[in-house]
Amino acid sequence: MNILSRITGFILLFLLWPAVRPAMSQDYARMRNDMMRDQIISRGITHRSTLQAMRKVERHLFVDKSLRSRAYDDNPLPIGYGQTISQPFIVAYMTSLIDPRAGDKILEIGTGSGYQAAVLAHITDSVYTIEIVKELGQSATKRLEELGYNNIRVIIGDGYYGLPGQAPFDAIVVTAAAEHIPPPLIEQLREGGKMVIPVGSQFMVQNLILVEKKKGRITTRNMMPVRFVPFTRKENPKD
Amino acid sequence: MKRRLPFSIGLLSSGMVAFQLVLMQILSISQWNHFAYMIISVAMLGFGASGTILSFLKKYLTGMKEKSLPGLMLLTSVSIMGILFMAGPVFGGFDAYLVFYEKKNLWNLAFSYFILFIPFLTGATAIGLSYIIYAKEIGKLYFADLTGSAAGGLLMLFLFWHFSPSTLPCVIACLPLAAGLLLWSGKAKVPIAAMGIMAVILIITGFFNPPVLPVSQYKNLSRTLLLPGALVEEKTDSPYGELKRVRAPGLRYAPGLSLTYSGTVPVREVLFNNGNWFGPLVPFDTTATEHFLDYSTYALPFVLDKPGTVLVVDAGSGLLASHALTHGAGKIIAIEPNRAAVEMLYRNMTVPGKQLRFIPALSRNYLLTGDQYDLILLPEIGSFGGNSGIRALEEQYLFTRESFSQMWKKLSSRGMIAATVWMDHPPRNSLKMLATMVQAAASGDVTDPRDHIAAVRSWSTITFILKKSSITKEDIRKIREFCFFCQFDPLLYPGITREERENFNILQDDSFFSAIDCILGPEQETLYREYDFQIRPATDAKPFFSQFLRLDRMSKMKEVFGASSVPFLEVGYLILLVTLAQITLAAFLFIILPLVFKKVPGRKRTFPLVFFAAIGTGYMFTEIILIRQFTLYLGHPLYAASAVLSGMLFFSGAGAALSGRLITNRKRFATLAVCIVLMLAILAPGLPFLLRTGTSVSLIIKLILCMVVIAPLAFLMGMMFPSGIRSLALHHEGGLIPWAWAINGSFSVISTALATVIAVEAGYPAVMWIAAATYLIAGICTRSRHFSIFVT
Repeated sequence: MNILSRITGFILLFLLWPAVRPAMSQDYARMRNDMMRDQIISRGITHRSTLQAMRKVERHLFVDKSLRSRAYDDNPLPIGYGQTISQPFIVAYMTSLIDPRAGDKILEIGTGSGYQAAVLAHITDSVYTIEIVKELGQSATKRLEELGYNNIRVIIGDGYYGLPGQAPFDAIVVTAAAEHIPPPLIEQLREGGKMVIPVGSQFMVQNLILVEKKKGRITTRNMMPVRFVPFTRKENPKD
Repeated sequence: MKRRLPFSIGLLSSGMVAFQLVLMQILSISQWNHFAYMIISVAMLGFGASGTILSFLKKYLTGMKEKSLPGLMLLTSVSIMGILFMAGPVFGGFDAYLVFYEKKNLWNLAFSYFILFIPFLTGATAIGLSYIIYAKEIGKLYFADLTGSAAGGLLMLFLFWHFSPSTLPCVIACLPLAAGLLLWSGKAKVPIAAMGIMAVILIITGFFNPPVLPVSQYKNLSRTLLLPGALVEEKTDSPYGELKRVRAPGLRYAPGLSLTYSGTVPVREVLFNNGNWFGPLVPFDTTATEHFLDYSTYALPFVLDKPGTVLVVDAGSGLLASHALTHGAGKIIAIEPNRAAVEMLYRNMTVPGKQLRFIPALSRNYLLTGDQYDLILLPEIGSFGGNSGIRALEEQYLFTRESFSQMWKKLSSRGMIAATVWMDHPPRNSLKMLATMVQAAASGDVTDPRDHIAAVRSWSTITFILKKSSITKEDIRKIREFCFFCQFDPLLYPGITREERENFNILQDDSFFSAIDCILGPEQETLYREYDFQIRPATDAKPFFSQFLRLDRMSKMKEVFGASSVPFLEVGYLILLVTLAQITLAAFLFIILPLVFKKVPGRKRTFPLVFFAAIGTGYMFTEIILIRQFTLYLGHPLYAASAVLSGMLFFSGAGAALSGRLITNRKRFATLAVCIVLMLAILAPGLPFLLRTGTSVSLIIKLILCMVVIAPLAFLMGMMFPSGIRSLALHHEGGLIPWAWAINGSFSVISTALATVIAVEAGYPAVMWIAAATYLIAGICTRSRHFSIFVT
């Protein structure tokens, strides 16, 4: 190939760039479909509204541009400030565990990139999300506004106290793992409500704790992600 | 040879050892302490690669020795300072966690590895060059090299207390600078002076304007400092690390708090050591009658009894001591090895001296004192959500079978040992803790350990109790009541039923309970053998409580968790294995491969080359295992590393200095090797016994005993290398010397990581036996004709 033909090739590529871009969006759609099939459905998530929401939310718009090609990978990704956007499966599993329905009021502690809130916003009417790191909260607010999520309210502050003014909540999602569950959050959970909290480092294979409040009795259920199977014994999951 | 040369070599060596220690400290702050192995291997690789350089540039560098020797030393000083000024990309360009996710991080890690390698390469080239030029006087030079290295280690013990990690490289860079200037004869004024001036400017600039060292965004401290209003209130540097006291309104710590708790959690200040969580500062209140830990499983021992005397081992910032104080304990002894932390605690807290006393000491050693206790409180084990093997390679002598037996003996007739474990999935910490307690009870002549162990479980923690007397019906009633009140579940007590175990906190299946029951029953051994993680109790010979990974189960791990997830399950040990593979490859690429292109002089070279490989391996194996074994004896890894390194280097240096007079023929050379083999063969089984019998003496006596053990062995070992070099000097104009230097360096590099892998898999005595075997191989190699004549 001579120099002239190379230059011509570059010019053509430059001119055709706008036409190439939609093809990239299609790539993301394909990657999202693959993610749903290989990471979510194949691991046993059947919660219909969760699946629908996960299909709709464009995860690549919640990560840094340099990481977009890996947005649908089976991993958490760094979003700065020591935080990550959770692995897609964890988001799907947490969402399905609290079983959100239209009309529910949901509180999320730890907005991060805003991805979990966006998934919830496709299912319920109102999502409140609190982020303690100011910079993360601001960028999530901007992102969610630009993407047209008007049923999400981002609050920058200490999630420990929850939002007493908006309580009670039908469900609470704690995305930032903590070594204790703040008592105010338990108080703000509606009778019959559910709270889910991840246990484990963000870079490890996490498992989840589901907290349920029924008749004044608070129970926890250790919900190991499906890829965790019991060791040394045959699989014997409980209901 | 110039009289000043040994001094120069000594200064240079001390600088290089000191720089290694500083780099370990900096990487512990910026990243995690796994990288200690990386630094040792980088340094050793520098030594190995210098042999390769010398084999190619020998004539050129020896021809201009007046310039090359001081020039290389000054270059070492400049490159040390260069690394400091490149701290951002070198220490912060990669992130330990992201290395497994992002290729970019892997490349950045490789970049850091290469940059850190430079000062060791230049310094080692200067040392190796001096050996080649003055091969006849290698004894003196080797002595200077080793004693200088020993002095460097001791120097750091002093410097760590007085300088921050960001200013320490400036102090250390003065050593190779002084070494170079001392040797400078006035020739090549312009380049040497230019390098000297550059080094001085960089040192002064760095000292008065130290760069900010980067810290991983995923470290506890980095994330805490993102909280609104977070402030570092106080900072102390010590050999134990960089200790920071941080205040933030949003800082709270209540591990595994009951969901029924509706009060406040009064934590505002937390200590961080090297950026890692060290502990919260909680008031020591003698008037309070309730503590927030009463709503956690930690309260179990206080539910059963009101202990009068309490020993808190590895007490950290005193959280458990404050809890014991609230329950009216009359005498609380809190043992914490980090002296800087104890001092900071006394500076900032009001400690009621009548009831509570913090003692800076190694807990395991303190257990040898005569007192008896009603309660021994152990620090929490694991971390929230599992520790992912972060501490897998750390000796945890407190959690070994022998340690628990010792604690058992310290209990009064009503005494208890209490240990709280974070729940992990799949279960590892909890099972290993129970297994250890069962063995301790069995060693304490208990008929049935099941009658002496109780445990309760919350949504995130389990507290185990090992009681000297049997668990009574009244105890069981109290446990049930406590569990109901806090919505916890009883896990263990005599006669517990399956239904009682899961009222409030439901697990996904029964496998955990089955494993717990197996440990207490006759199927214990089967479980240890078949479980996918290493849950057999740790011992003093293999004191790695947090090492759970079983290499024989790796393929199953991959199958269950997916290959990409395995690194995050047990990352600590895997990092060591990756390091071992990486340094083996690097040793081959940088040391062996270049030499392949250069013809090895002479014939039948295998024996001399195997000789240098064997003594490189044997020496490093011995050194590493002695450090690890003396850690328990001397009370702190720092004392052990300083004493063993300094002792080994000094006495090896003495051996090297006298080797010219003592090793004058092949027979003596072979006898030397046999003596070393015999000494190692005696130490392999004998050292643990020796250290156990002499534990109750003072530190000074212990240090003397340490030297008594090390001196003869190191003295003999120190003769091997210079004797071999002196012999090779007579063959092919010393053309094999760079090869010997390179091979010895390569095997030393690989041995640093390999010794730990063998220790984890087979225990310390096995490493010592292998060291003996390598010296036996070296002894056999002395039959080679290359070792028939010695330069005297």
